[in-house]
Amino acid sequence: MANLKLRNISKSFGDIEVLHNINMEAKEREFVVLVGPSGCGKTTTLRLIAGLEDASSGEVIINDRVVNMVEPHHRNIAMVFQNYALYPHKNVKENIIFSLKRTGAPKELIDTRLEKASRLLELQDLLHRKPAQLSGGQKQRVAMGRAIVRDADLFLFDEPLSNLDAKLRHQMRSEIRRVHREYGTTSIYVTHDQLEAMTLGDRVVVMRDGRIEQQGSPMDIYLKPSNIFVATFIGAPSMNMLDARLFRDYVELEGRKIPLGKRIEEDLIRIPGEGKEVKLGIRPDFFQDEHYSDGRTTLSRIEDVKIDLVEPLGFDIEIDSKVGTQPLKARLDIRTSVKEGENINLCFDMDRAHFFDINTEENLFVLPLKP
Amino acid sequence: MTDRKTITRKILLALAVCAVLLFCLFPFVQILSTSLKHQFDWGNPSLIPIKFNLEAYKELLGITKAEEPVVPETVKALLDNPLLTEEKKEEILNRYRSTGDIFPYPRYFLNSLLLSASAASVSLLLAVFGAYSFSRLRFKGRKIVQRGVLFTYMIGGVMLMVPLYQLGVKTGLAKSTWGSLLSLLLIYIIQTLPVSLYMLGNYFRSIPYSIEEAAVMDGCSRLGVIYLVILPLSAPMLMTVFIYCFIIAWNDYLFASIFLKQFHDFYTIPLGLQSLFVSKNAIWDRIMSASVLTLVPVLLCFSFAMRHLTGGLSEGGLKE
Repeated sequence: MANLKLRNISKSFGDIEVLHNINMEAKEREFVVLVGPSGCGKTTTLRLIAGLEDASSGEVIINDRVVNMVEPHHRNIAMVFQNYALYPHKNVKENIIFSLKRTGAPKELIDTRLEKASRLLELQDLLHRKPAQLSGGQKQRVAMGRAIVRDADLFLFDEPLSNLDAKLRHQMRSEIRRVHREYGTTSIYVTHDQLEAMTLGDRVVVMRDGRIEQQGSPMDIYLKPSNIFVATFIGAPSMNMLDARLFRDYVELEGRKIPLGKRIEEDLIRIPGEGKEVKLGIRPDFFQDEHYSDGRTTLSRIEDVKIDLVEPLGFDIEIDSKVGTQPLKARLDIRTSVKEGENINLCFDMDRAHFFDINTEENLFVLPLKP
Repeated sequence: MTDRKTITRKILLALAVCAVLLFCLFPFVQILSTSLKHQFDWGNPSLIPIKFNLEAYKELLGITKAEEPVVPETVKALLDNPLLTEEKKEEILNRYRSTGDIFPYPRYFLNSLLLSASAASVSLLLAVFGAYSFSRLRFKGRKIVQRGVLFTYMIGGVMLMVPLYQLGVKTGLAKSTWGSLLSLLLIYIIQTLPVSLYMLGNYFRSIPYSIEEAAVMDGCSRLGVIYLVILPLSAPMLMTVFIYCFIIAWNDYLFASIFLKQFHDFYTIPLGLQSLFVSKNAIWDRIMSASVLTLVPVLLCFSFAMRHLTGGLSEGGLKE
């Protein structure tokens, strides 16, 4: 078990700086997910922790010890690669116990660890197969097995599920969760899938262009995104961003005046000027059809939303619609019987709406969580 | 219609393949056939000997003893002189037993084998580390070194022959037997290294780097990675490179002819063959059977290599 700190990490490849002053931390037993679009530097960050890349500046600290100069094979870190990277010439068993054998562990220990890992990952029947004879999901499990038999201080996962199909991904996600609960090893997990980030992470670190945009618990990030990027990246379907004007006690959206909730009124002191142009952000999941709203009078309303497309998803219905000229997505109760071309009144809780500065893109009412 | 077309095509292809095969294999068949013929049969254009003759093989492999030298009558009379010591007698007899008459195949074979195998082993060892550094490490001047190595391959052996021998003489290596053998060994290594580096380097590059990184994360040092991951995965290519180096050294005549000229006991097979060709004992069946015996190890090497050249060892460990 270990804790990890990255302090002022920067990394350049030639003249291009790909990581800018990264500061983050993983406490003991914590499962931290680095999430962001391709090329945001999350994998580079992971490789820096592993020691497969050297930081241009800053410190990687594991268990309160700066490890920048420590070779990767002395860092006691286990890593699961995106492409599994199994040893093709070794069978499943040899793949799994490779690292234990390297450290000269006694045979009994190797056997018990192998037994436990293969039972947990359901690999008992595959131990004598070569990687080429395994399916994608099985290979992934072997790669996990290779990590968990070790008594590693840290687990690093580099997009381990990105090569699997949706169903397997779901299954493996629970498996990773189970493994973490069982072993409790501090883990850093890299993914571009916000769903994985939300479901797996004790803490989520959202990255963009080599910078950390926000870090916090999954729900914190979901409910209090610090800027437009985080707001739209986390959550599916992504948050609606509507051009609006903010006044002292209402917000004007396409000619509709929507009264502000109490919390927002209190926060408004921080905002200079009346009629400020803002982006109004509301998650599609937070809308309700007026007819089936829970009857609270405190709910705000957007009237006369024109429905373009209705997509029944089973449990709920997703609609593509327009407020004036602006597109708006909403996820509504299954009972809603709206049809394409009709108008609808949508309700939402103003406390769950966000106002973003159109220039800085920062959330006006959430103090930035960046350190 | 299409069926008939494909059949015709297949037949034509088969004929073409046969023609090429015939063209390539004919000299070898001719060698084999001549080596098995009796003297009276040599002029016969048929490839199948009228009567099989294994004498030449037996003689070369030392199964039958070489005949006593034929000494002219006058010399015989001389030998009867009681004043002549046994030593002198032997010396005179030896003149008629000139070394050109005898072709000590097992000895030449062993010389060639040891020299080629050691050259190939050292070359392979150096090539593994060299190729690894070319394919995986980033250091200043890597490209220049890499191309420089290939450059040496562009200069033919004939051009280097004299300077190399001079070098051997100047360093004093060419004076002694072991020095000459060492020079030859070095030459073979240097001669084969460029291609070995090139072949192995390309192969190493085809092994996904993430497998190496996985090994590093599993606690391997750089050397550990090479030994435990890269080498097992490259086994087919290592075999190929070894055989390539072996055959180059095995077939070399040029350098052996200058460095080993004076050391008859250390003749390699090509050198021995050449001396057999020019000796008075140059009988066709002996020459050809010696050639066949020289070819055999090469063929064995190839057939062995073919079995190991299935490749694709690194498949399956990754999701592409």
